[in-house]
Amino acid sequence: MNNTAIDATRSRRIELILRQVDSLPTLPAIAARLLALTTSDEGSAQEVIELVKADPTLTARILSLCHKAYVGVRAETITVDRAVVLLGFNAIRNAVLSVKVFEAFGLSEVNQEEAGEQGNGPYTFDRPGFWCHSLAVAITCELIAQAHPGRTDLPPGDAFVCGLLHDIGKLALDLVLPKSFARVIELAQINQGNIAEFERRVIGIDHHTAGKRLAEHWQLPHVLQDCIWLHGSSYELLPRLEHRPLIGLVSLADLIVRRQHLGFSGNLATGQDQASLIEAMRLDPEKVERATRQIFDELERRGEMLGLKDQPSAELYLKSIQRANEALGQLNAAMDRRSRAAARQARLLRAIATFQAWATPAGGVQDVLNRVASVAAELFGTGYYALLYPGVDGEPWLLCQYSQQGEPLEAQYLDPPVPRIDLSTTEGEEITLAKSAGMLLPWLADHLLSAHDLRQVRLLRLGCGWGTVAVLLHDRPSLPPAEELEALTLSWGSAVAAVAQHEGARRLGEGLAEANRQLAEAQQRLLQSETMARLGEMAAGAAHEMNNPLAVISGRSQLLAQALAAGSDNQKAAQKIVEQTHRLSDLISCLRMFADPPRAERKATNLQALLDEVIHQLRQEQQGELRETLMSVKVDRQATSVWIDGPKIAAAVRELLLNALQAGPKSSVHIGARVGMQSDTLTIQVSDDGEGMDAHVLAHALDPFFSSKAAGRRTGMGLPRAQQLAKAHGGDVRLTSVPGRGTVATLLIPLAAAASDDLAAGSAGARGNDNPRGGAL
Amino acid sequence: MVANGNGKPGTNGDSLTELVKKNVFTTGEAADICKVSQQTIIRCFDSGRLRGFRVPGSKFRRIPRDELIRFMRDNNIPTDILDSSRKKRILIVDDDEQIVELFVDVLSRDERFEVATARTGYDAGILTEQFRPDLMILDYMLPDINGNMVCKTVRKNPDFASMRIVIVSGVVKQNEIDDLLGAGADEFVKKPFNIEKLMAKVVELLEV
Repeated sequence: MNNTAIDATRSRRIELILRQVDSLPTLPAIAARLLALTTSDEGSAQEVIELVKADPTLTARILSLCHKAYVGVRAETITVDRAVVLLGFNAIRNAVLSVKVFEAFGLSEVNQEEAGEQGNGPYTFDRPGFWCHSLAVAITCELIAQAHPGRTDLPPGDAFVCGLLHDIGKLALDLVLPKSFARVIELAQINQGNIAEFERRVIGIDHHTAGKRLAEHWQLPHVLQDCIWLHGSSYELLPRLEHRPLIGLVSLADLIVRRQHLGFSGNLATGQDQASLIEAMRLDPEKVERATRQIFDELERRGEMLGLKDQPSAELYLKSIQRANEALGQLNAAMDRRSRAAARQARLLRAIATFQAWATPAGGVQDVLNRVASVAAELFGTGYYALLYPGVDGEPWLLCQYSQQGEPLEAQYLDPPVPRIDLSTTEGEEITLAKSAGMLLPWLADHLLSAHDLRQVRLLRLGCGWGTVAVLLHDRPSLPPAEELEALTLSWGSAVAAVAQHEGARRLGEGLAEANRQLAEAQQRLLQSETMARLGEMAAGAAHEMNNPLAVISGRSQLLAQALAAGSDNQKAAQKIVEQTHRLSDLISCLRMFADPPRAERKATNLQALLDEVIHQLRQEQQGELRETLMSVKVDRQATSVWIDGPKIAAAVRELLLNALQAGPKSSVHIGARVGMQSDTLTIQVSDDGEGMDAHVLAHALDPFFSSKAAGRRTGMGLPRAQQLAKAHGGDVRLTSVPGRGTVATLLIPLAAAASDDLAAGSAGARGNDNPRGGAL
Repeated sequence: MVANGNGKPGTNGDSLTELVKKNVFTTGEAADICKVSQQTIIRCFDSGRLRGFRVPGSKFRRIPRDELIRFMRDNNIPTDILDSSRKKRILIVDDDEQIVELFVDVLSRDERFEVATARTGYDAGILTEQFRPDLMILDYMLPDINGNMVCKTVRKNPDFASMRIVIVSGVVKQNEIDDLLGAGADEFVKKPFNIEKLMAKVVELLEV
């Protein structure tokens, strides 16, 4: 019988129980008939006499009752007829019911005492005690009813029967499901609670319902059915039935009797307030009080009379005191259990409070784990402690190990176990060794610091809303009950989860900041190249517009030169015009390069020869002192034959050399070429010992049209052009300079860069396709 | 017809020199040029192998110069007598008046060339039909359509298969130059240009 049975089986079970209740022995015919007589014809004394006469035991019992009640009357002189007259109809009926109902449940005089001794556990249904309780309630009902003669709604005879049978349902449940009912009794005792509640929890139905069902089966009068069903309910909530006061009376009597610890009802709930019930029923508290004082004597007298009880009232009183004591003891025990639980919970709460008070989001996961270990060691005692934090999505797992006092010893990151161990799916609050033996611990064993006996290691899940976030490894044999520990583990788990989230967010934030910085840099570069590209686009548009007039100037000048006298100054002047127009046109083409970067067409090239030729040509062009400037070349052996676009490299070197010559070299300009260690980059350095550049000039040296010289400057396109040519190879130009001491311009040309060439060509091609007509349209 | 043709006086050398400059020929003239009998020319004309027209209101056959040249080429008759005889026609297409004038000045100085000019792609199209140039100097950027479209349109017509196209432009984008050459241009010359080099290129293309 467990209380977690699902509803479907529960309702089936209840039906089964009810059917068993129905199959309980029927009320003996005589009792049923007597009850029927009560309601129909009160005067059928003759029929009662006949019924009693038909049952010999009953005859004997009635005669004995009469004898005891009227001491002095000689037994042999009493006939059944006379006894009925003497005792009155109600007394006969009550006596018969008491005896017969008793018999129906097998509680004959003979086995009464045996039944008391039977029970195999500390908590059994005390049937004699129950009967005593029932009789006491019946008597109390009768006494109170008798004390209020004016209340026609409280007939003493009916009140007695109602009181007698009010808890018949308990008897039925005990008979049908003795073990379950014993459990109910136990739970009610331990929890000092309302028995009906535990009946519903354990069995599925309570004694009210079971009793009602039995009463229906026995065809007891409605007033009885309702008393059995509704007694104990709040008086105010009772339906406005005709016999509502009777039901209230039974509830009241039940309360009084239980308070007197008379007999055994199994119910330990204090229930309603006695005084308010008396008031609600409009009874006289004093009369009730007087009636209450008579219960013991009356119970003894009646029990004796009915032959049911043979205990003198003093003994009965003593017994009830014993019971009261017992109840008090149980109450104390329950209180003690609760207070111990409360103390434990208080410790846990304090632990949670200190833990939470410490918690700061700034710390990392490891800090929280250390704190958990420290609190755990304080709370659970010194011992083995370690914490395992499984990373998210394949991240390494963090294993922190601690001293016996919970001080951190070592923290390490482990590669996640393969195959994956999903801690969240582990059932229950505590992962037992058995459940994870095949998985977690063998994997962990290699990493644990001390050769601790793993058989003693237990695992405690630290969960939060969405699963397990960490696991505490410990060797404590007993921890507080799981339900009490839950608050603590959830608090730990949540803290770990929160910090993990925070860490994640922080990492994300840092990542974002880094990405932002890179983005800003890229944007800067993009802006730079965009400016260049826009300049180039503009140049492309301008090219058409400017080249037309240039063509006219150049053409006309050529015609003029042809017409003029050969060798004359005028002809020379005309030729100069032609030259300068072509120079201007070249400049426009240069600008155009930024919009449509050139692409390298690599061939195996003799670098030495290439550089020699550049120097040779340059020397031809220079005039005056510059022509005499020493220009030396040194090409490393590995660099003699390289895979480059010769004309473009030559043009680039030429620009660097021109720049060097313009810096006013004191002695010489030197070119050094070599191939890097990985034979992947060709480096061509052009160094001069000229005036050098300051930081400002250096920063803008690669900008088109930038020149540090106010007058007499060149086009200002030399270095940018060299850079464009280097970029065609996927390379670049680097400048270093010390003002007054000279400049080193370095051409970096990746050699294994066929792919990057294609890439550059691809992007250039794509740009070209976007706008194949050029910018002028 | 036979008697008529026979009765015609034989053409002398001088008259032949004048004859080859004409744009439309009679069957007799065509026979002289081709050095075949007039009868052969008439038979070819009537069978449709030599296309021409009849003078409106009469039966006289007339043969346009181009048709005669085509006929001669088809039949492997040497055409140098016709080719060398006339000036090479050059059409200059540019929207810049100064550029057009420059070209006219340069090319007109050479007696071997006959020059026409157009300012737009549309004019260029019409003049190509009318003037039937041997060579076109074409600017890339025209007000209405681009030079490469002119190139493509011209090249689609088999009548102009032998026409030479020189693109002259201030545009310097290599991929656009490649496009132009792919569209059927024979040569690309960048503005500003060297006049002597340009003339050499033109002469080379026209094989004069």
